[in-house]
Amino acid sequence: MSSKTAIGRLKRIPAVQKQFNVFTSINSDAEESLKNNSEKAVKPLGNLLCGIKDNIVTRRLPTSCGSKLLENYISPFDSTVVQLLEYAGAVNVGKTNLDEFGMGSGGTNSCFGATTNPLFPDESIVVGGSSSGSAAAVAADVVDFSIGTDTGGSVRLPAAYASVLGFKPSYGRISRHGVVAYAQSLDTVGIMAKSVNTLEKVFKVLDMPDEKDPTCLNKALRSKLSAITKAKSKLRIGIPKEFTPMGVSQDLRAEYLAVIQRLEARGHEIYPVSIPNIKNALPVYYTLAPAEAVSNLSRYDGLRYGNRDREKDSSDNTLFAPSRAAFGQEVKNRIVLGNYNLSSESFNNHYIKAQKLRVELINEFDDIFALPNILTGSQGIENGIDILLSLSAISTPITTSEYDSENTDNPITSYINDIFTTPASLAGLPAISVPGGNLKAVGVQIMGQFGDDLTVLNAAREIL
Amino acid sequence: MIRLARNYGSKAVKQDFHLLPDFKLKCGLEIHTQLSTQNKLFSHSTNDPFASANVPNFHTSFFDVALPGTQPNLNLEAVLFAVKLAVALKSEVNLSSQFDRKHYFYGDQPLGYQITQHYNPLAKGGSIELTKALDGIDQEHIKIDIMQLQIEQDTGKSIYRESEHVSLIDLNRSNVPLIEMVTLPNFTDLKQIRSFIKKYQNLVRHLGISTGDLETGAMRVDVNMSINDYCRVELKNLPNTSSIMNAVKFEYKRQVDIIRRGDADELLSTPETRGWTGSSTVKLRSKETTIDYRYMPDPEIPLIELSPDVVAGVKTSLPVLPDEILRRLMSKPYFLSLKDAKILTVNGNGRDQQYTQSELLTFYLDTFEEYLAHVKEDINPKLPTNWIIHELLGNLNRLQFPLSKALQTLTPSKFAELLVLIHEGTLSKASGKLLLFHILEGAKGSIDLLPVDLSALIDNFELNAIQDVDPEELKKICSDILSQLNDPKLLEGIITGKKKNSLKFLVGQGMRLSQGRVKPQLFEQTFKKLLKITW
Repeated sequence: MSSKTAIGRLKRIPAVQKQFNVFTSINSDAEESLKNNSEKAVKPLGNLLCGIKDNIVTRRLPTSCGSKLLENYISPFDSTVVQLLEYAGAVNVGKTNLDEFGMGSGGTNSCFGATTNPLFPDESIVVGGSSSGSAAAVAADVVDFSIGTDTGGSVRLPAAYASVLGFKPSYGRISRHGVVAYAQSLDTVGIMAKSVNTLEKVFKVLDMPDEKDPTCLNKALRSKLSAITKAKSKLRIGIPKEFTPMGVSQDLRAEYLAVIQRLEARGHEIYPVSIPNIKNALPVYYTLAPAEAVSNLSRYDGLRYGNRDREKDSSDNTLFAPSRAAFGQEVKNRIVLGNYNLSSESFNNHYIKAQKLRVELINEFDDIFALPNILTGSQGIENGIDILLSLSAISTPITTSEYDSENTDNPITSYINDIFTTPASLAGLPAISVPGGNLKAVGVQIMGQFGDDLTVLNAAREIL
Repeated sequence: MIRLARNYGSKAVKQDFHLLPDFKLKCGLEIHTQLSTQNKLFSHSTNDPFASANVPNFHTSFFDVALPGTQPNLNLEAVLFAVKLAVALKSEVNLSSQFDRKHYFYGDQPLGYQITQHYNPLAKGGSIELTKALDGIDQEHIKIDIMQLQIEQDTGKSIYRESEHVSLIDLNRSNVPLIEMVTLPNFTDLKQIRSFIKKYQNLVRHLGISTGDLETGAMRVDVNMSINDYCRVELKNLPNTSSIMNAVKFEYKRQVDIIRRGDADELLSTPETRGWTGSSTVKLRSKETTIDYRYMPDPEIPLIELSPDVVAGVKTSLPVLPDEILRRLMSKPYFLSLKDAKILTVNGNGRDQQYTQSELLTFYLDTFEEYLAHVKEDINPKLPTNWIIHELLGNLNRLQFPLSKALQTLTPSKFAELLVLIHEGTLSKASGKLLLFHILEGAKGSIDLLPVDLSALIDNFELNAIQDVDPEELKKICSDILSQLNDPKLLEGIITGKKKNSLKFLVGQGMRLSQGRVKPQLFEQTFKKLLKITW
C-alpha cells in the first residue's frame, strides 16, 4: 500500500472517533512517520496502519486499560508486540478502547465510554468486547489491522459483531511482554483484519520467541511444531454437538449451516464430534479468570503510578480501599468473585476443581484432533479431525442501552456471550472468528489443535 | 529505620531464668535467609538489599516496582543455592515444585502479593543434629527435624517518619531471594535454640549462599512456642540472638503465669502472633484478625523441574560440611581442641576479619600436610596449630593484612618449611616469631609478592641457632647476667626452689642477649650449674 493512501485514511480518524469512540488516544505523529520513512514500503508491514488495544504498553502513548486507576499512565517501555510491529514498518495510529482491563464482552465498561459498532452507523449498537476499539477500527476502515487481546473471547466476539476477522493464536505464540495481565494463563495477543493475507503477514511478524515472557514458546518447542504441522488441501472438520445449543436463533443457525455446506461443497469432510467438557467451560472460565484477575489487579494501589486517593487511602485499617474504589463496576464484580474463589474456604472446592476440569477439557480436545499436542504429549488420533467449527456468538449485537440494562439486572447475562469462545481459551487452542458472509454481525469460529495456527488461517480462507 | 526507637537490651529479663519441670516448653523455628545471588529472584536487578539508605529504590527493575505488563523471570542461581541447602540438610528435593502468590496489601509490597512456595515447596524433610560434644547442648545428642524449605521474594522496606506522618518506601530489598526454613517443634530448651541458630547460620555461610547476618536482617528468626501443649504463640521481630533468647524467656514466664492463674483455657486457646519490644512481648494479631492470604498458584512462572541428575550433581559438588570438618580436625593426625577446630570452621560475619574460614582451613590443611611429609612420625601437631591459629592470625590482625595476600609470599610449603626449621631446632621460637612478623610486614608494603626465600632471610639476619656453642662463652654470658641482676631475693628464691619459675626470667635474659640463637635449654643448664641448683 502506498503511503498516500494511508495518509488519506488517517484523515478519516477524527470523524470515526467522534461517531464510534474507537480510540483512547491518537498518535499525532502517524502522518509524520508515514512521510518520513521511505523504507517502509519494503518492510513486511510497510505503510500498514494499525490500532493497539489500550492494555498493551507503549512509550509514546498512554496506557489506560480503560481504567480510572491508570489515568494518564505512560509506560517507560514498549511491549514486545509494539516493538516487532514498528520494526516491520507498521504505523500505530492510536490506542483502542476496551472494557476495563479486558473485562467485559460488550465494549461498554470503559472509563472512556462505550465504543459503538461501525456496521450500524445510525444506531448505538455494541461492537462487543473487550477488544471493542480494535474491532471497530478495522470495521470502520481506519486501520489495516489491529491488535487485541483475547482471554475468553475478547478478540473473537467483537470480530463477529463487527464482521471482521478476529484471530486468537495458540497460547504462547505471541509474546505477552508488555500486555497488562487480566488472567495470564489465558491471555493471548490477537489480530483483527479484513483479509486473511494481512492477518497472516502480521502473525508472521509477531510469532516469535521472547525471553522476557516466561510463557512464550521457546525455540525448541517451535521447531517441534514446525516438524509436525503441514498444510492440508482437504480438511476433516468436526462439528461439536455441545456447540449447537437450542437457544440460538433460527437466523444464526441458518448462517452456520450455510457455512458448513459451503465447506462441504469445496470437498472438505464434515464429522459430528462430542467434547462433553465444553459444557463446563463457562463455569471453569469464570472460576479461574477472576481469580487470576483479582491477583493481578492487587498492584493498583496508586502508590507508584496511576491515581491515588491521598487523603483517605490509609485512613482506616483497609489499605488502599478508597483508591481502589475507582475501579468500574464490572471489575469490582470480578474482584469479589475472584476473591471468593481464592478464599481458603472455597479454594479446594472451586479453584482446584476448575483446574482439574480444565485438564479434562484439554484431554478431550486431544482425543479428537489428528495432530499431536506438543504440550500434553498426546500423539494425535488416527483419522482424527483437523479443525472444529462453531458459531462465534450466541446472538447478534444489541443496543448499548439494552446491553447496560440487561447487565444491571443480571450481571451474569453477558457472561453467556463467551460460551463458544472460552473452550479454546482454556485449552490454549488457535481460533478465529470469520464473518459468515450472509448476515451482518455474525461470525463462525474455527478452532485447531494447539500450534496448528496455519491450518486455522487456511481454513478461514475456505469460508470467505 | 533509624527512628524506630526500640530498646533491644536485655535488662528487663532477669538472669536467673530456668525452665520449670512442670511446664514443658515446645519450640519450633522459622528462619528466613536472604540468598546472596548476583541478581534478584525474578528480575535482572542487582541483589544488594543494603545498597543502602543513601540510594533507596536504586536496584529496582520495572518488574520489581510492579509496572503493568512486566513479567517474572526466575533466577536459576537462587534455585541452585536452595538445592545446595536442601541437600546439605538431607531434605528431599521436590523434582517439580511451583510458585504461589500470597496476597496482602502493604506499601512495601508492590505486587500486592508475595511470590512464595505454598502448595508445593522446593524441599521437604531433613534435619540438623546437635550434640553435646560439638554444640554444647545439655543432651548427648538431639535431632531437629525440618518440615520444609521454600523459595520466596523478600518485601521492600518501610521507613516511618512519625513527625511528618509519612512512610518512606525503599524497594532495593523487594524481590531479593529468600529461603524460608521451618522446623518441627523439636526444641525443649534455650541452649538447643541458640546452638541451632548458630549451626544453621554457619551452614549457610559455609555453603556460600548467604551472609547469614542477623544484625542486617539477612537472616531473620521467628519462634513458635507453646507450654504444656496449649496453643502456640509465634514470636516475631527478633533482630538478634539475645532478643530471641530474651523473648523466649519472657514469653515462657508470661505463659507459665497464665497457666498458674488458671487462665490458660481463656488466654492460650487460640494461636497468636506476638512481637518483641526489647523488654516484653506484645500481641500483634490473633486468629480472628488473621488475613486470608488467598494463596493461588502463579499462572505464568513455569514449574521448577529438576532432574535427579541435577540434585545428584549438587550433592557431589557440595563442600565437606562443618560437623565433619570439626570431627576430622579433632582426631588424628590434627588433634585440635574444639575451640581451635571451630576457629578453622565456624564462619564469622566476614567483617573485621583478615580471612575466610575456607581460606584458613585450606591453608592449615595444606601446611599441615607439607609439615607432616617432612617430620613423619616425629610429628608435633601443636606446632602447626600454634603457629597458624595464634601466631599467623595474630600478626595478620595486628597488621590488618589479609590472608589471601600473605599467601602469595608465605605459601603453605614455605610456612611448612618455617615449621620444620623450628621443629628441628634450627630456628628458635623467638627467632621464628621475629622472622614471621618481618616477612608479613614486608609483604604488606610490597606490590609484587613472590614466595619468600627463608634460608636467605635467616642467613641475612643471622638467625640460625648456633649449633656448637662454646661452653666457656656461654658461662661468661650467664655470669654477666647474674652479676648485673642485683636482686638477691630473686636468686635466693630460685636456688631454694621456692620460685622455680623465676629461672625462666634468667633464661629469657640470655635469649635476648643471644637474639634467640641459643637454645633455651642450654641457658637453663648453664644457670643451674652456676647457681648450683639441685632441684
